[in-house]
Order: sequence, then C-alpha cells, then structure tokens
Amino acid sequence: MLTAFLLSILYMVSPVCDTLLPPATVTALKESVSLERVASPFSLIHGETLQKTGTYRHNMLSGKVPGLHIPEYGASLTSTVYLRGLGSRMENPVMGLYLDGIPVWDKNAYDFDWEGIRCATLLRGPQGTLYGRNSMGGVLALQSLSPSDGSGHTLRLEYGSANSLRAGVVSSFGRHVISATFRHSDGFFPNEFKDEPCDPYDGISAHWKWEGDPAGDLILGNTLWVNYSKEGGFAYGQWIDGELHPVSYNDEGSYRRLSVIEGLNARWSNDALAADAAASVQILSDDMHMDQDYTSASVFTLGQRQLSGAGTLELRLRRNDTQSAWQPQTGLFALYKQNHMTAPVTFKRDGIERLILYNANSHIPTDIGYLEIPDARIPVDSDFQIYTWNIALFHESVFTVGDWQFTAGLRFDYEGGRMDYDCLASLHYRFVPTMSADKPFSIPYTGREGHAGSEILPKLSALYKATGALSLYSTIAKGYRAGGFNTQIFSDILQNLTMNSLMEDMGVYLDRPIVSVSADDTEYDPESAWNFEAGARLRKDNLHAELSAYCIDVRNQQLTVFPPGMSTGRMMTNAGHSRSAGVEAEIDWRPGDFRGCLSCSWCDARFVHYQDGNHDYSGHHIPYVPGYTLFAGAGYSFRLDGLTIDADLSARGAGPVWWNEDNTLQEPFLLRLDSRVALVFPKWELYVRGENLTDTPGRSFYFKSVGNEFFARIRPRAIFTGMTIKF
Amino acid sequence: MMVISCVGCARLMPDTPTDKEESDYVGTVTVIYNDEPFDNENIKVTFIPGADGETASIKIHKIRFVPKMPVTIDVTVPGVSTSSEGSKTVLSCERSIPLAMGGEYPKYTVTDLSGEIAGDELTFSLNFGEYPTSFKGRLNNK
Repeated sequence: MLTAFLLSILYMVSPVCDTLLPPATVTALKESVSLERVASPFSLIHGETLQKTGTYRHNMLSGKVPGLHIPEYGASLTSTVYLRGLGSRMENPVMGLYLDGIPVWDKNAYDFDWEGIRCATLLRGPQGTLYGRNSMGGVLALQSLSPSDGSGHTLRLEYGSANSLRAGVVSSFGRHVISATFRHSDGFFPNEFKDEPCDPYDGISAHWKWEGDPAGDLILGNTLWVNYSKEGGFAYGQWIDGELHPVSYNDEGSYRRLSVIEGLNARWSNDALAADAAASVQILSDDMHMDQDYTSASVFTLGQRQLSGAGTLELRLRRNDTQSAWQPQTGLFALYKQNHMTAPVTFKRDGIERLILYNANSHIPTDIGYLEIPDARIPVDSDFQIYTWNIALFHESVFTVGDWQFTAGLRFDYEGGRMDYDCLASLHYRFVPTMSADKPFSIPYTGREGHAGSEILPKLSALYKATGALSLYSTIAKGYRAGGFNTQIFSDILQNLTMNSLMEDMGVYLDRPIVSVSADDTEYDPESAWNFEAGARLRKDNLHAELSAYCIDVRNQQLTVFPPGMSTGRMMTNAGHSRSAGVEAEIDWRPGDFRGCLSCSWCDARFVHYQDGNHDYSGHHIPYVPGYTLFAGAGYSFRLDGLTIDADLSARGAGPVWWNEDNTLQEPFLLRLDSRVALVFPKWELYVRGENLTDTPGRSFYFKSVGNEFFARIRPRAIFTGMTIKF
Repeated sequence: MMVISCVGCARLMPDTPTDKEESDYVGTVTVIYNDEPFDNENIKVTFIPGADGETASIKIHKIRFVPKMPVTIDVTVPGVSTSSEGSKTVLSCERSIPLAMGGEYPKYTVTDLSGEIAGDELTFSLNFGEYPTSFKGRLNNK
C-alpha cells in the first residue's frame, strides 16, 4: 500500500502519465511533448485513486475534473457530457474518449465499467488539431495497465445498497493483461406503477491487452474491450404544479448493449523518426425500449435497435529526438462508420385518442362528422441506414526557445454523412357518418439526406517556464462537433404526415395542416468553437496546482429542443451563437500522510443570439450546463504496525443548472458528501464507502414529452463495503 | 351522332375533350350563403364520364360551403345524366346523394343539377342541401 501511495505521489508530481511508462508501452495521448509542457489544463487521476474514490465509470469523474459534468440518468447509452459550457444531451459528444490510444467512435459506448485502468487523463479545451472532431471540449484518455508494469493479480469485491454487487479481476502475466468486472444492482428507483425497481443493472466488461516488440525498432500493442450490459433505466418522474412525482409508467423501459472495440497500435522508430499507427474496429449492437410518455397511460412506446460498425486508422510521424528544439508531428486519420437503426414507434390506444384523433377531430366541424381509428395500436416503423466518413490531415510543431515553448498546429477535416430512411405507418380508419366500414391506410415515407463539408482547425499556443515550478501558458484553438441526423424526430414527422395524408385520403384538407417539423429538420450542422485560454501550472514538491481561464465563442451551437405542442420527438437544432466564459482551478496537496484536493470551476454559458422563431433567448443561460462544479476532498492515512487506516471525506457539487431555454426552471447548486474508510494490509484491504451520505435530494435531468414535464432524480444515499486482494 | 359530334369538335378545337374523356376544369364555385354569394375561386372540377356512356360524375375539389369552414373537402356528384345537343353536352340530375369523406353524404343531397359543356367551358348549377351552388370554369390543359 505504501508502495502504491508513493507511486501515486510519483504520478502526481511526475511530468506526465506516459513518461512513466517503459519504452515498450504505446501511450494513450498524442502530444509530442510531455503533458507538463502542454499549454492546456489537464487532470490526471491514477488508477489507485480511481479505485479508492469508487470511480469506475466516466460519469463518476463529474466535478473531480473542473468543469466536467456528466449527469447520471437514463441508461448506459445516455452519456451526456458537459464540459466548459459545451455539450448537449443528444448525438455527438464534446469530449473525445480514447482507450489506449484508440478513439471510441460511438458515444453510446462511452459508459462502461472500468477495471485495470492505470490512469485517466483529461485534457481540457479544444483538442481538435490532434484529436479532430468531437473533442472541442476536451479529450479523456484512459490508459490501461501494461504488461510491462509487472506480473500480478488483483481481485476486488464490493457489495452495498440496492443489492449492488461489483466484482473485478486484473491479471498481468507475460505480455498480457486481462481484466474483467461484473456489476449487478437491483436499482435505486422504484417504478410505482409496476411495483418493481425501475433501474436494475447487470453488466460485464472485459479487457485484454497484449504488448510486444517483435523487432528492436517495432513495438506492437493490441487492446480489446468488450462489454455487455442489460439494464432498466429511464427513472423519470412527472413534474406537476411544482411537485416531482415518483416514477410511474406502464410500458417497458430497458436497454441491452454489446460493445466491442478492437485496437491495434504500432510504433516504429529509428534514430531520427518515430511513426505511430493506430487502427481499430468497433462494433456496437444495442436494443432499447422506452415508454415514451413515461405515464401510466398507454400513449406510445419507442424501440431502438442499432447495429453499427466503424473502422478507424491513424498514422503519425514525428521526430524521435525528444530533446530537439523543434518537435514536429504530422498525421493522417480516416474513419468510416455504418449504422443500421430500426426505431419503431407504437401509438397505443391512449395515444391514438389523445395525439391523433384529438388532433384531427379538433380541426373538423362537428356537423360534418368525426374520424375514428379502431386499432388498438398503430405501428410506425422506421428504418435508417446512416453512413459517416471522415478523413483528416494534421500537423503540429512545437518550438522551444529558452524558457519559451511555442506550438502551432493545423488540421484539415473533411467529413460527410448520409441517411437513408424508410418509414411506414399503418392503420385503419373510418369517418363517421359517411363510411360504413373501416378502411386500411398506410403511408410510406422514404428518402435520403446527406451532407459533406470541411473544417480547418488551427491552434496556436505559448508556454513560458517562469520558474522551475511555475509555468504560464496561453492557447488559441478551434474545435468542432460534427453535424448529423435527427432520427428521433421521425415519430413526429410520421404522426403529422399520417394525419394529413389520412385526411387527404378522405378528401378533407385542413386550412392549417398539422405541422411541427418537416424532413428539412432531420439534419443539423456542425458546431464550431474558438477557444481563448490562459493558465498557470504550479509543481512544487507535493503541491500540484493549476488555474486557467477561458472564453469560448460557439457558432451553430447544437441544442436539443422539443417541438411545440403535443409532440412526441426531440431533435437537435443549431441555435445560433453562444459563448462560454469560465475559470477552473485544481489543487492537489499531499504532505506526508495527509492528502487534500480541490477542483472547482465557474462557467457562464449563454446564448449570444438564439431566436427559435417564437422566442428570443439571447442572453439566457444554456440549458443543462452547471454554473459551478466543485470537488473537495481530504484524507489521512494512520499508519500502525502492519496496518494502515485510510480515512477520506469528500464533497461534490454542481449547479445551478437551468433546465430550459426560458431559464424558468432551475436546479440550485447541490452538494453531496462521500466518504471512505479502509483497513489496508500489505496484500489486501477492507473498506466501507458511502455516496451522498446526507441523502441530498436533487434532480439530474429534465425533459418534456407530449407536453408533460419530467425530471430524473440524483441517486439517494448508498453505502458499499468491499475488499481488494493482491497476489 | 355523338361520335360525329365529337370528331367535329376535335377538328375545330384539338384540345377540347370529348364527353367520354375525364377532364379537369378550373373556375369559380359560388355558394349562396345567408342570401349572399360566397365565391370559391380557382376550384378544380373533374368531369368523369361513366362506363354506360349516359351518365357521369362531377368531382368538385377542395370546396368550402361556408366562409368560416376550417377545412375544404372533395365532393363527388354521381349519376349525372349526359346528352348531346349539337356541339354541347348537356348535364342534368334531379337528385343525387354526393360522395364525400369516404362515403355517401346525404346531408348535402344534390337537387336540380343542370349544366353544359360547351367547347372548353363547363357550367352548372345545383343545390347542395340548402345551399344553391353554381360553377363556371374553363378546361385546364395542364
């Protein structure tokens, strides 16, 4: 344990995670220089700390990294990341995720249980020049344990609230590291209508890593990540007249996912040059079922099944002499992804009455007659084939002149996408009194949408080593988030199209056809951002501190919106112009057996100009983005003969969060308390840890469906006890 | 006689259909509502000859019977008798239950329909229930 602790100190004061790795290790990051010399703020959390703080999923980094907010709600596919005021609850992320140097290409695969992680590094600010699309907020790089860390085996077992069980194993032998983790939970939120837990979870993650150097100048690494989960979720309660009701819905809410990421890294080097190659194949198969109205009424349900495959390839060439004053790096990146998605929406009897018949008959004079649909359910089948491709060329040069270091980079991205959609709604109808029998009716809706475009992502930065301990830096960089397609709005389009077509089939034409959105809304544009940043980094003995301030100008901000009225879908739109300004601070201090850390951020993210056609939201806060994040922790190790007692206490908070564009619904700043006490022996430890000890109530997510408002609650108090054995 | 008549029409006006062809006319439908004329302009009317050669249907597209009606509807008047008088086709129907909204619509039973197709012009008048209605339009060649 002492060794682990010393190692952790070493990690904290060491220049960079990857510089500790032996030469045979292929690293997760692409920077030409060590992280300490990168002119962007970064947070580095080593594996031991991840384990001790119960951080085994990416959303548990919330607050621990300044400005990072990953609210827990929905299911594993949700993975909504907010960073520095950037982010939206759907589609492309603002934070790139790299596993052992392999980019994870599907946000739906971000949320999985970690085991055998050596360190997690989060670079904040646009990292577009080296990392490309969807890294405009930052990049999270997970480095797994390497065979060159030494042989050994670790077993972990944890049990706690909600009958939660987590078991993990890591085994390192020869050139291999194998890890696996299993987690079960009965769930923390009951569904009162069904009288059963809403969010049970069963999942297993496995990882295999192999590293070798078949030739003296060639290093190869293979990394395979597989995870499977079967879970409930979507614990949303209705918000009525200022009161949050319990979760109570009647239809299925579930999610199953299989994700496979296979990556191959290679590094070839000679005296002058080093070339890195990273290739991957990524497969994701999932199946989601959702009670889309989240009430006990039978309104409508959504299924979504995806089978996607992606291939990535990156080649980078750089100088091998790391002491040279000029460190150039040039790279080429290519991606191709194909996703087959079926997303059937089923309108059930209450939905047929409320959403379809009410809509239609309210437009028909009663003396003419009324429309009747006898079906118990109306299926609206949607089938999508979505293709995405991206190719990029980039270069970054780092120049060192005395105590100064200058970086200039440029990336050219060309990317495109295509969506083929094939939808069909089928029903029977009868107009009373003119029709004596039901008439079958179906409306197909097929088409193709596509886009292609290029982005140029420049970067300029300077770092000045003021003293041996203090560095000052400033960066100007551009990042972007890819555009895409709104598949979740097709239920609205089909619903309206069906009604209008059905009326036309009868020879009835509404003066104002039922329209909320059209096929034009199925595409949205890329979002881009210029980031201006200045910071200071202090490394002095056991003190590690970083302070940074930024201002981000965002164009074509991607925002999730709900169409007006009794709409059933949601869609991404480009909401004009916004800006985000903030300050982030991170301090880690470990004198002797004491350890203390503080991560905090202030962020003011607002629309500069956003008119949705009905309202002007200019000047309003951007929804879902917390104004502050805070993580403060302190711990002490009491050393006895052959035994160490670790005691840690931490507070984590985020807020205020504005839930809507009007800024009329707000979540105040919420603080929750976590703690951990461990008995640490040389080869094993026992611990008890608690989350949200004060059982602070709070809300983590807001949305609207069919005109109703819903919230997800934060997890209640949870206590866990566990043990770790190393041999 | 009808064939000779139609051939004659065709020689004079090549675009004019015979009364055995389905053809569209565009013009104004005037409905007398509260003793005031209410015009529906640019209304399409389709003349649909029957298979028996003696009757036809008249389909009026997107008509509004009263100004505040929030919808327009298609109405078809079946069983209209046709006969030829010289170069004209004469239309008449004493009583017919129109078809609308997927079936018969007796509330607007048609009475006293009379009219004619002369050259490229279709005119007729009728009562839709309690609403006296007339149409005058020209052949739509589009």
